[in-house]
Parts: sequence; structure tokens; C-alpha cells
Amino acid sequence: MSSPEPIPPPNDRRSSRASSAGMDTADGILPVGGPPNDPSPLQIRASNSLNSKNRRSTIAKQPPDLHLLEYVSQPDSNLVCLICHSPFDRPVQLFCGHFFCRECLDHAWCAQQEGRKTCPTCRSRVDPEKDVRPVPKIIETMLDELVVKCPNAKSGCGWVEQRVNVNDHVMLYCEYTLVECAQHDCRLHISQKEFHKGCLHYTVSCEDCHTSMMKKDLEDHQRTACANRSTNCLHCDASLLRLDLKTHIKDACGKVITPCQGTIVGCTFTAERAQTNLHEKSCPMATMAPHFRDQQARIERNEARLEPLTRKVGILEDGLSSITNMLYPANDSASTFPVTNPWIPTSPTPSPSNLVPTPTSASRPPRSHPYPKTHRSPFTNPSHPFDSQVHHLLTLHESLRDEVNRIANALTDLEGRTNMMVMNESQRTKDDMLHTNAAINGMRHQLHWLISATLQQRNSTRTAANAASGSTSGARQGGSAARQGPSAGFHAPLRRLSDSTRQDTKL
Amino acid sequence: MAALPKRIIKETERLSKEPVPGISAVPHDDNLRYFDVTIDGPAQSPYEGTLLPPFGGVFKLELFLPDDYPMTPPKVRFLTKIYHPNIDRLGRICLDVLKSNWSPALQIRTILLSIQALLGAPNPDDPLANDVAQQWKEDQNQAIATAKEWTEKFAKA
Repeated sequence: MSSPEPIPPPNDRRSSRASSAGMDTADGILPVGGPPNDPSPLQIRASNSLNSKNRRSTIAKQPPDLHLLEYVSQPDSNLVCLICHSPFDRPVQLFCGHFFCRECLDHAWCAQQEGRKTCPTCRSRVDPEKDVRPVPKIIETMLDELVVKCPNAKSGCGWVEQRVNVNDHVMLYCEYTLVECAQHDCRLHISQKEFHKGCLHYTVSCEDCHTSMMKKDLEDHQRTACANRSTNCLHCDASLLRLDLKTHIKDACGKVITPCQGTIVGCTFTAERAQTNLHEKSCPMATMAPHFRDQQARIERNEARLEPLTRKVGILEDGLSSITNMLYPANDSASTFPVTNPWIPTSPTPSPSNLVPTPTSASRPPRSHPYPKTHRSPFTNPSHPFDSQVHHLLTLHESLRDEVNRIANALTDLEGRTNMMVMNESQRTKDDMLHTNAAINGMRHQLHWLISATLQQRNSTRTAANAASGSTSGARQGGSAARQGPSAGFHAPLRRLSDSTRQDTKL
Repeated sequence: MAALPKRIIKETERLSKEPVPGISAVPHDDNLRYFDVTIDGPAQSPYEGTLLPPFGGVFKLELFLPDDYPMTPPKVRFLTKIYHPNIDRLGRICLDVLKSNWSPALQIRTILLSIQALLGAPNPDDPLANDVAQQWKEDQNQAIATAKEWTEKFAKA
């Protein structure tokens, strides 16, 4: 009573938690599964699931307060906090060995003076910084395994499971959790289950008792609360809820006049439902009716399946014709379509000359194909010999493939022969070249011999001439001989005609 | 008034399911924080009832749980007149656990048991009713006789 600030009433814990201990966010409540800031695996799975994508509801949910949970069985008294008398929620242990919920302890110490905090059980002095420890793991496990009911059990949720899962259940899965209304400017809440129905927060009047209420409460009212909710069936006098009257008349009432089930196959019997039921037991048409209905459904299914197939065939046929046009660009009319009819034996293995299928080839058997290429839409020609357009197409395809195969064979054959011919020819050319080379070599030798002979002859005549005129040119030669060494005397006279001579020699 | 905290509901349920012998506490229908309490005077004390009619020895109290209970102690007061050094004539009780020594780990049943124990062990050294304490110290026998007399006179079942 003398506490410095007013203590918030215990039932308002959540708001006080937010203000007094800001770090204890909703994440801290996640009981197990990784660090508190990580989304739990369940959360990830749920956020990826189709269901949650469809929702897109703004969450007005708050994490469930574990103190307010209802436990299926009386929890062990050792797991109960002495302050809140509920099983521990995030318990801590004091150095004296006494356990409390973290939150309860904070509340209790709130009333005590700073520096004079005591253990609520044994009153021993406690230092809030040092003496508060985490509890043993086994305690947390035992707490996690306590079986609880869903906090929305009053609204109708029947979920009952271990306490560790309650947060995920309420925040992600429970259909009865309140969320903000789908209507943008509507501030009211609605259960997750009815979120997709749009805003139900408008006033309606119960047709039966003329009380006004919100639309979302109407069905509940008509089922349980409305003073005028029960009525009698007009036909059979059975007493039932007004809400169920329509379904009763449609499906169950024995006095309503209904036709026999066999109407679809021709039975004309019509009487009150009870009699119709009796009649149906003996009516052969009624017994056959389910069978017929099945057949009908199957036919419809098949027709539906046929449609895309037909479209596909059309596309294939288009493709085929364009291929044909590409292969025989000059003759794209249907009459020259080079398809061999598979039913007429073709000519014996085509010789290489007529292997390449030319559109004008006379060797091709006359095309007896009864089916013009342009004939594309199915079932317009009732007399065509094939089961269906597909069959025809397959035939065309097959014959085309034969054709291509034959062409390929002929090409290989031709290639082989050409290779052989080229090889023979080149062999002969090579031999010729060898002969020519040999002849050239012989001629070169002869030429060489001739040239050297001539040179020798010339040299000998020139030496003789030099010897004769040696005295006149002696002084000039002495200078150059001193410079050029002993061979200069021999080469100097050659220099004038050297170029031509030397080249000849090289040859 | 805000919704009743779960702890109060639980305590009330337990008080009616497993009552403490000699003590009863029943909440008012219109205010579940307000209890009508009766405590039997403990045996071998001046507040014990008689074995023969008119029996007696049943003391009525009122108990109120404030808004911030269990962080603050409940308010308890004797409605029956009692001659006791720690209880004044307005019925106020001098008991440490109701004041400075309150702990949120205590509860209604422990408080009522403490009060019952206080009846069995009066403490004239820490008095609330000074004249009674004086008397108790000076002439204990006379004081006990007066207490018995008051019990027979006022504490009727």
C-alpha cells in the first residue's frame, strides 16, 4: 500500500509486462525451439502454407497468457507457482531454492522497497541481479508437457495438447482466434473461421423473434437463444429448428412429394418421399439410376477430354503441312504430296537414281491416298477409311519417316561411292606427279653438269689471259691484295661477271 | 470491476472443497472479493467453545481481497467482540503477516490459520488494545476469565 507507484491489477498483466519489461516481447513466450527471435519451424511452415497465404488477415491475436490456460488434469503441486497458483510460466529459481514465475516475482518485488527484496516463501534477502537463476531443464520439460485446452475452448475449439504447442496453435492454426475484421474501416474483431465471409458486423434482425443483433451472432442466436427458434415441419409435423427447416424439407422429410430416382431413365413414379423410397427398392430403373448417372458422368468426362485432343491434332496437322511445304517448296499443292500408301506394296528397293524423291518422279506409284491433305477438321468426312484424324496423321507420319530413311540410306551409299572414286582419281594423279618430279630431277642433274663444265672451261681460259697481262695490273692488285688476303688474287677478276656466274652455280 | 484473477478463483474453490478444520470462508455472491469468515476458538484457550450448549467459541470475521491481492495483504477484521490484547475494539488485528511481513506466497487459508493461532497465543508485548494488554500483564488469570466471559457472551455459533 505504501509502494511508490500503483501496482497494476494482476489481471492486467499483459499491459504491465509491456511497460515494465520491454524486452519480454511476445517472442519470449515461445516455449522451446531455438533462440527466441528465430521463427519456430512450425511458424515457417505455416507461413508458407497455402492456407495462411489465403488468409491475409491482420492478426489481432495476442499470445495466450499461460496463467489463464485451463489444464486438463490437476497439475502437480510442485509445478505450481505459490504466487499465481498456476503452473509456472517462464520460471526462475532463487538462490534459496524457491521457484516462481518470472512475472509473478517481478510483481511481488514491485511492492517491496528497493534493496529490500525478499523471497516470498522464506523471506530471505535476495539480490535481484545475482540471486535469480534459470530453473533446471527438467522443470521446463515437465511444464511443456502439461496438457492444456485451447484458450478459445469457450468459443468451440476442441484442441487439447501439450502446453508447449499452445502458442503456435493460437497464433497460427486456431480457427477461433480473433482477428481484425476484413472490412478496412471496421475496428471490430472476428474469429479466424469467419474472416473470409467479410464483415459481419452489421445489425440484422432475427426473422423469427425480431431482435436485432450482429450478423455474426445470428446463427448462434437462431440455434440456441431465439425464443421462437423451433417450429414444426409443414409436411410431417416433426419439430425442429427453423434454421434446419429447408434442409429437412429438401433431404429428409418423409411427406414431401418427390420423384423416383429413376426419372433420368424414364420412370414416371412420383409420390411422398416415404412411398418413393419404398418404390425405389423395387423399381428396376431406380436401381439402375446410379449406374446410368455414373455412365453419364463418364461420357461427359470423356467429351471434355476429347476436346483438347482434337485441338492438339489440328495443331499437329498444321505442323505437318508446313513441314511438307518446306521439303517441297515448289509444289505445295496436295496432289503432289509424296506419301506412299502403306497398304499398297511399294516398288522394290529403289535404285539410287530414283531414290531422291522428286515430286515429278515417274517411278513413284500413283498416289491412291483417299485423304486430301487439306482435310483437317475431324468428323466432317464420314466415309474416310481411318478411325480418326490421328490415325491418318500417324500413317502420314510413318510413311514420311520411311521416305526419309530411304533418302538417308541412298545418301550414305552415294557418299561411299563418291569417296571411292575420289580416292582412285587422286591415286592416279599422285603417280603422275611422281613421274614428273623424277623427270624434272633428271633434267636438273643434266643442267648442273653442263653448267659446271662450262664454268670450268671459262675459268681455265681466264687464268691463262690473266697470266699474260699480269705485269700491267700488278701495282693496282698489290694494294687490294694486301687488304683482302691470299684469296683475293683469285676472286678479284671474277667480280665483274660474278653475279650471273654465282647464281648459275647455285642452281 | 475487472475480471477476477485466476488465483482468487482457485483459492475460493479450494477453500470450499478442502476446508480447514475450524475455519470457514464463504465469498459474497455480489462481490467475490469479500468473504464471510468464521474461526473456532482454539482448544485449551479462553476462546474455546463449551462442550455443552450454547457451545459458542465461534468468531465471525470479514475478509476483503484488495485489487492488487496477492501483492498486498488481505484486509481482515473481527466482527465478533473479543477480549484479546492484539485485537482492538473495532476488531482490527495486530499481526505481522497482515502488514509488513505479508508475502504473496501466503494465502487466505494461511492467514486465517495465523489468526487462529494468535487466539491461542496472545502477545501482550506487542499490543493493539492497550487496556487489555495492561490487564493481561498485571493479572493474567483475571484477563483470561474476562476473555472466557466475553467468548460465552458474544461468540455464539
